[in-house]
Amino acid sequence: MTAQPETLPPGRTASGVSTLVVPSVIGGLVALTLGIYGRLHHPTGIAVNIAGFSSPGYVKSWLATAATVFAIIQVVSALVMYGKVPRVSAPSWIGGLHRWSGRLAFLLAVPVAIHCLYALGFQGYSTRVLIHSVLGCLFFGAFTVKMLILPKRGVPGWVLPVVGAVVFTALVAIWLTSAYWFFSTFGIHR
Amino acid sequence: MKRNTPLITLLTGAALGVGLLIASMQATPLANAPTGYSNTTSPAAASSATAATTAPASAPATSASSPAYASSSAAAAAAAASPPAHADYAGKVQDGAASVAISIHGSQAIAYICNDGKIEGWLKGNVTHGPLVLTGKNQARITVAYGTGLVSGDALAHGTKYNFAVHTVHRPSGLYTVTALVRGAKIKAGWIVLPDGTQVGSVETDANSATPSAITAPVLDVATMTAVFEGVTLHAVQISGDSGSGF
Repeated sequence: MTAQPETLPPGRTASGVSTLVVPSVIGGLVALTLGIYGRLHHPTGIAVNIAGFSSPGYVKSWLATAATVFAIIQVVSALVMYGKVPRVSAPSWIGGLHRWSGRLAFLLAVPVAIHCLYALGFQGYSTRVLIHSVLGCLFFGAFTVKMLILPKRGVPGWVLPVVGAVVFTALVAIWLTSAYWFFSTFGIHR
Repeated sequence: MKRNTPLITLLTGAALGVGLLIASMQATPLANAPTGYSNTTSPAAASSATAATTAPASAPATSASSPAYASSSAAAAAAAASPPAHADYAGKVQDGAASVAISIHGSQAIAYICNDGKIEGWLKGNVTHGPLVLTGKNQARITVAYGTGLVSGDALAHGTKYNFAVHTVHRPSGLYTVTALVRGAKIKAGWIVLPDGTQVGSVETDANSATPSAITAPVLDVATMTAVFEGVTLHAVQISGDSGSGF
């Protein structure tokens, strides 16, 4: 992304890092709200479910895995869009692929997160569970930040890849501390 | 990319989340709802998930706003299901941190909660109309609501609160215990054997104390019902509401 100098009306704050303040605050509030809800809400052990799987744990593990696959598509398409993949030039549809894979990853993650928060809550009884709980909140906060800075002008060029990387890394770590563990413990099946 | 499509994505996700949250609150079980979630033992246990999306006709549970401790939804709905005469239930608590076993034989109930180490407790109670309440040393307390093939409720042991929804189990799964004198000290051991073959167990090393302390129990050989503790072979008995053993 080439940074074009913007001509701003006098009195407006300069572009740059200050554009990140409001999105970061909102993203932080999202993460905090999820964490606080997860902690205060009395976990029920039950939440709305989807038929066709052998247990809620499997529903979540498969949905989370699908979300992570779409997130990988996100990263690869981003690399292509930024021209980072040698000898591959960005086709015209790459932006659409990136946006839609991202939307699907996010929308698949939402029911998993709701189930997790509602049925299990924010837990810390083991390292795996603590990491999962913290990163789960962070993921949604970071994703919120990403969505809010995308339409903003004057955001420094390094911000979007960094936020995208945070979102992706968080999701992968979330998947490792949940679906990967679940499949390893209970087997890979429906 | 249009200016506001990211915001639309975000709001769509938020709306989806809120919708699912409300649906979950509607589906939160009262006593006669489909099987509970125990992220444990056999994944096949909760396969009747299809019914969950059609909310039961009864009033939505208050669990979202209830105080942190009391699982009032479980207790409040207990009047809907009557207690079984003889039954054994066992399973992991909902976050897997411990296991609980409850046996009912007529008007008496015995429960054991155990995290394979220091947190454990024996509780007993009387079956009456309404939720089953069991109490034990160290201010242990379990409140139970009856379901179909399972019981659910919450437990307090050693200051830690747990929620659970555990299913009916049959031999060799279930609750085992032995009390013995080992080198002058009275010990009481308890094991919860789960249908997936795993077990947790603790030994109270000073069982006569009002606040016994516990350590992880040696493995119970379920076939012979024996375990070796500090060189001494212990012969366990099963606590079974079905057979009346242990009551």
